[in-house]
Amino acid sequence: MGLIDMADQGLVQRFATRITGTGAKTVMFAHGFGCDQAMWRYVAPAFERDFRVVLFDFVGAGSSDLSVYDPENYASLAGYADDVVALAKALGINDGIFVGHSVSGMIGILASKQAPELFGKLVLVGPSPRYINDADYTGGFTAEQIEELLDFLDSNHMGWSQAMAPVIMGNPDRPELGEELTNSFCRTDPEIAKRFARATFLSDNRSDLPGIDAEVLILQCRSDAIAPIEVGEHVHRAIAGSRLVILDATGHCPNLSAPEETIAAIKAFV
Amino acid sequence: MSASDDWFENAPCGLILMKRDGIILRANRTFIAWTGHELQSLVGKRLPDFLPIAGKIFYDTHFAPLMHLQEHFDEVALDFACAGGNRMPALVNAIEGRDEEGRPGFIRLAIFRTADRRLYERNLLDARDRAEETVRVEREVSELREQFIAVLGHDMRNPLASIASGMRLLGKEPVSERGRRVIELVEGSVIRAAGLIDNVLDFARGRLGGGLTLSRDAREPLEPVLRQVVDELRSIAPERIVLAEYELDDPIDCDRGRIGQLLSNLLGNALTHGAKDKPVRVLAGSEAGTLRISVANGGAPIPVATMARLFQPFFRGQVRSNRDGLGLGLHIASEIAKAHGGVLEVTSNRLETRFTFTMPLA
Repeated sequence: MGLIDMADQGLVQRFATRITGTGAKTVMFAHGFGCDQAMWRYVAPAFERDFRVVLFDFVGAGSSDLSVYDPENYASLAGYADDVVALAKALGINDGIFVGHSVSGMIGILASKQAPELFGKLVLVGPSPRYINDADYTGGFTAEQIEELLDFLDSNHMGWSQAMAPVIMGNPDRPELGEELTNSFCRTDPEIAKRFARATFLSDNRSDLPGIDAEVLILQCRSDAIAPIEVGEHVHRAIAGSRLVILDATGHCPNLSAPEETIAAIKAFV
Repeated sequence: MSASDDWFENAPCGLILMKRDGIILRANRTFIAWTGHELQSLVGKRLPDFLPIAGKIFYDTHFAPLMHLQEHFDEVALDFACAGGNRMPALVNAIEGRDEEGRPGFIRLAIFRTADRRLYERNLLDARDRAEETVRVEREVSELREQFIAVLGHDMRNPLASIASGMRLLGKEPVSERGRRVIELVEGSVIRAAGLIDNVLDFARGRLGGGLTLSRDAREPLEPVLRQVVDELRSIAPERIVLAEYELDDPIDCDRGRIGQLLSNLLGNALTHGAKDKPVRVLAGSEAGTLRISVANGGAPIPVATMARLFQPFFRGQVRSNRDGLGLGLHIASEIAKAHGGVLEVTSNRLETRFTFTMPLA
């Protein structure tokens, strides 16, 4: 299970990959738009006893190697999907489980279609194949709103171009996790944030939903402004044989706001 | 109103109390006054409802997750949508609070208006972007210029070589006394032109990357090279007196071609700028582990202001316009000196102007 040779080491480092746990199968967690692998910190450890757990940062996020960021490559989600395939292959993942939050759900679907042997199961947390409303489709945003968003990012507004390197304190509710980490959580390089936003919010992957070989679980929050419940239902209908679980959690990040519920739903599936 | 209520309501910043899921519980008077929203339209709504689209998305993808991870968030720049339709740029601090049982339950926000500061910061960013763009363009232009110089210099060598060999051939023909003089003049000009091109190419190459390259060799003697340089320049200025003394005993580990070029530049300068009626003196000696080559000429001393800039490229001082020269000779000479681990220095007074190159031997 995964001897990583020299050429692959570079790849592993490029994505700031962290590998923990032991098990016959591998669970690969992918973060969503805006943050990095730290957002899985309440969920990933729960799987370490039974699975090999892989955490990583997409290029442009967290501690990934920003120097390899090529705007052409990441103009669409396909570039990110290629990275997932490359990393999974380098780690020798086979019939593994991919857990993708937010836009990573779609990235995982694209990766899985590119190389079906990699993942036998996909868990999509708050996925959305398209954010802009269409004729019969509720994406949650109007075209004007998304355009306003992209204009806002283009103008390099301070709010998104602040470089933040916050200290992550241990959660007092969970003293066993209590260590002080300094990392680049939510650091947003304005150029990269701009392009990732463009790739995410202008995406339309509805046609990629059918024809997925892997088993799919969709975790949908009850009131999620970014991926509303209509979107989750659409994804569920479009993927034959998929399972849809509505979480009581509100907001877009149940892996942070309701980790126990999230862990339970994923464990019931894997 | 109690003192603490008064503090809350009338604080010099907006204050909001909200639940962990973003539902607003309380908002102070300051916030209400700033945004124009009434209390009843705030309470029970989610904070992102009062943020424009970018802020909404930022809230759900950055702000809320970070609050979950570390219970506070400092200096977020958020725009608030006001009741009147306008936007209020603000800086926000947030910290999680606990209830009586110590359970995390709510979030406190402090909101500061930042219209002026935001404008200032944006101006700084714009200025920086413009400066970076200017630098980029300058760099491009500069590289282009230097490439052009290099190509031009290189291409000029061919016609010069033709002229030189033409003159050699002509010199073997029966030629009158006057004709011979003309041939000598042309050959002298070719030497000068070749020297100019060497300097230009060295300069361009140096600027495009890498500096001056040397190939050192201690086996061959230096003196013949220096003698040839002196002879060449004597032939260009036959009416001038050039006195040369050589005391080079030890093997000298240097790039002979380059040292020759250094001497040629110094001697050429001395002949051009020195007093016509005074001799030019060349001294080349090696002793006490040091190689010393100096060229001295008479004439008016170099002004102090000029001294400071002598070795800068393209610096021509108060040169009269009919003199040849790009102003590169001294610059190249000083670069050659540096490349050998030595120095080129100048002294100038009413008696003489003397350029001295010193370099440690081994």
